Amino acid sequence: MGKSLMIVDDSATMRKIIMRTVRMSGLEFDRTEEAGNGVEALEKLKGGVVDIILCDINMPEMCGTDLVKRVRQIPDCNGTKIIMVSTESSQELIDSVIADGANGFICKPFTPEKFQEKLSPFMN
Amino acid sequence: MIEQLGIKEIVLESAKEVFETMIFMDITETAEPDSDIEGWAILGLITFRGAMEGCLAICCSTPCAQTISMNMLGIDSAEQVSEADTCDAIGEVANMIVGRVKKHLAETVGNIEISIPSVVNGREIKNNLGNDAELVTAKVNIEDKYVAKLSMLYRKSSK
Repeated sequence: MGKSLMIVDDSATMRKIIMRTVRMSGLEFDRTEEAGNGVEALEKLKGGVVDIILCDINMPEMCGTDLVKRVRQIPDCNGTKIIMVSTESSQELIDSVIADGANGFICKPFTPEKFQEKLSPFMN
Repeated sequence: MIEQLGIKEIVLESAKEVFETMIFMDITETAEPDSDIEGWAILGLITFRGAMEGCLAICCSTPCAQTISMNMLGIDSAEQVSEADTCDAIGEVANMIVGRVKKHLAETVGNIEISIPSVVNGREIKNNLGNDAELVTAKVNIEDKYVAKLSMLYRKSSK
């Protein structure tokens, strides 16, 4: 069965860039969703969970760190892997968001190889 | 002390990394005089506060901004790029540059918190943070075709 992906970023352009970079990495998803912030992402998850969420941190309405905490409270999303994609890259922040339930971290600027490295372990 | 950190070098190095990795364009510093970008321009701006406070901006002509957004999105035709796409792209470029600057500053000055990007479209756009702020500017050649202006206004936190 194919995998599903949700990209959460307040920049529509960045969502397109991430989608393009994921494709360039060679990873394939049967279903892809987009959300502009944490609130939108939670609303879309009510309509169906996804296997992987790529999530920005600095967003209006609900930031990425709060979204991670909220997703981890949803039983249906127990198997959902969350990879943060952000310009923020302090070790303190990375440790904190991983402790809250994120499964990985990709810093902007990024390359297709970085997505390949971080997402491949969750594709099988 | 802040002046000794080589802010200009940090900004330029960060911008080069962003342009090479995400925009697939080379940039080099140019010795052109420090003047505003002529004609219609787009400015992407991020404010920050913490160990330092201020803002970082990238300003370039509208055609330059369109080319940057086309490269970021992998689109060949300018007609396929909307004004919203172009503004969004320039905001993200500023966001990524300041993210790299933040990483450098964390090792020397301390942590800064950054805002979400703002984008201004207009003529003769200027930043101002008051008389006690330091201003660092650098003009860069993009693929020997366009010129963009990077600027960082900063001062020690008043808190």
